[in-house]
Amino acid sequence: MTRPTAKEIKAIAPAAGVPVDADAATRIANSIGPAFEGFAPVAGTLPFDLEPAGFLLVQAAKVSK
Amino acid sequence: MSTEPALMSLVAVANAIAEKRLSSHEATRSCLNRIAQWQPRLNAFMSIEAEAALKAADEADAALAKGNTRGALHGVPLAHKDMYYEAGKVVTCGSKIRRDFVAKTTSTALQRLKDSGSIRLGALQMAEFAYGPTGHNFHHGAVHNPFAFGHITGGSSSGSGAAVAARLTFAALGSDTGGSIRMPAHFCGVTGLKTTYGRISRAGAMPLSQSLDTVGPLARTVEDCALLLGLMAGADPEDPTAATLPVPNYLAATSGSIKGVKIGVPATFYVDDLDADVARILDDTIVALKREGAEIVQVELPDQRQLTAACQLVLAVEATAHHKRWLIERPQDYGPQVLMRLQNGLAIPGVLYLEAMRWRGPALAAHIAATAYVDAVIAPVAPVAAPTIAESDVGNSPDAEAVIQRLTRFTRPINYLGLPSLSIPSGFTQRGLPVGMQLIGRSFDEATLLKVGAAFQRSTDFHEKVPQAA
Repeated sequence: MTRPTAKEIKAIAPAAGVPVDADAATRIANSIGPAFEGFAPVAGTLPFDLEPAGFLLVQAAKVSK
Repeated sequence: MSTEPALMSLVAVANAIAEKRLSSHEATRSCLNRIAQWQPRLNAFMSIEAEAALKAADEADAALAKGNTRGALHGVPLAHKDMYYEAGKVVTCGSKIRRDFVAKTTSTALQRLKDSGSIRLGALQMAEFAYGPTGHNFHHGAVHNPFAFGHITGGSSSGSGAAVAARLTFAALGSDTGGSIRMPAHFCGVTGLKTTYGRISRAGAMPLSQSLDTVGPLARTVEDCALLLGLMAGADPEDPTAATLPVPNYLAATSGSIKGVKIGVPATFYVDDLDADVARILDDTIVALKREGAEIVQVELPDQRQLTAACQLVLAVEATAHHKRWLIERPQDYGPQVLMRLQNGLAIPGVLYLEAMRWRGPALAAHIAATAYVDAVIAPVAPVAAPTIAESDVGNSPDAEAVIQRLTRFTRPINYLGLPSLSIPSGFTQRGLPVGMQLIGRSFDEATLLKVGAAFQRSTDFHEKVPQAA
């Protein structure tokens, strides 16, 4: 997963309901880009049978040990 | 030795009032005197309610004289981060947008402290909407570090860190979504407890990121944090994410020995690129814990950079969702950096957000496996001591993310994993700036962290250093 460009952000922000101008898109790209790169090794690798609530099960399972 | 009541710890002042060795009025007056002295320099308070506090103190003293006590904090004056709703009070959340917002309900955490008899001194400064790690606030001004005027306090619980350090309040609530309790604790030389996700109800606390937000105290000592945690923790019908697990006697846990307790030192990441003073203080802290009987072992943790990134993705999307209406209607009323960070969530696809949420379970399981043979992990809270306000005032410039990343790199992974972490004052730099270390524990095992932290504070005096007014 690569970081989004300012151009891409300017295009997708209206879909989220909050349009941004070119300057804001550039700032956003600079700000959130490292998170995309940092998560890239994980993105697209997760198993099928996994859902967010699994976190609470792992959290609780540790307590009962 | 000073007899100024405000210099006492929370536990000590609560006991002194309960035993009628000190009146609530005297304790409250002492805090108000210090607030009057320090507030013009620190900017730690959002509002000060001197008259109401003294009236409440007199009522507490009168009740006690008749043999009536409300609880463990009877007559103890406290102030909290200005994001805990209290019915009928203005709760600004550090913002312009909520400058006149009057809460209709009282947060569960705050109500439990009130039910224990605490008195309200006022409300404490914070980063706008708790979204900033430095202590800067575009609308209400920066909060200054009591140990070094002109240096940051850390955020977002900036006022909580400064006010506890300067002995203006005996303790304060903070909140920690990406490091917002631990960083002010570290930079200001106080004790701060980021609780396990779900340990304390979030009901009535301003939301930033519902999957990451945690409530916790900043105080003078570990014992003080233990007292407050015991009063606030537990199930809450108003918050379905609040855990229903029993609440241990946290205060009792602070008196135990740490002989044989295993503490892990990360082999990488948390020991990389540290400022020389921070590296020295980490080594000194390890030596002190060993002296107290702890067994120190090296641990190999999973890749923490991925955890940091996942935390950022979750936080960005959830914060943006909470703020979407105001982002549409009132974007001009945010500070530049907060606006930029709130807009970050617009760039993150829903699928990526859900992947970051789905990975939390496996990531926590991997951490548990890597730390199975230790009771806690020790790490710096940040790689540096408090920078100056000027050098960290980066607004929404291209440098902003680098500054934020550098400050939060050791705290965000812990929020993503939902683990508890106790920040303890551990030393001072050559220039006199406080440095804290964090003890990271197992889910819902705050008791072990409190035990280790209390043992450390029995053998050191860093937590007793009081900043001097100029």
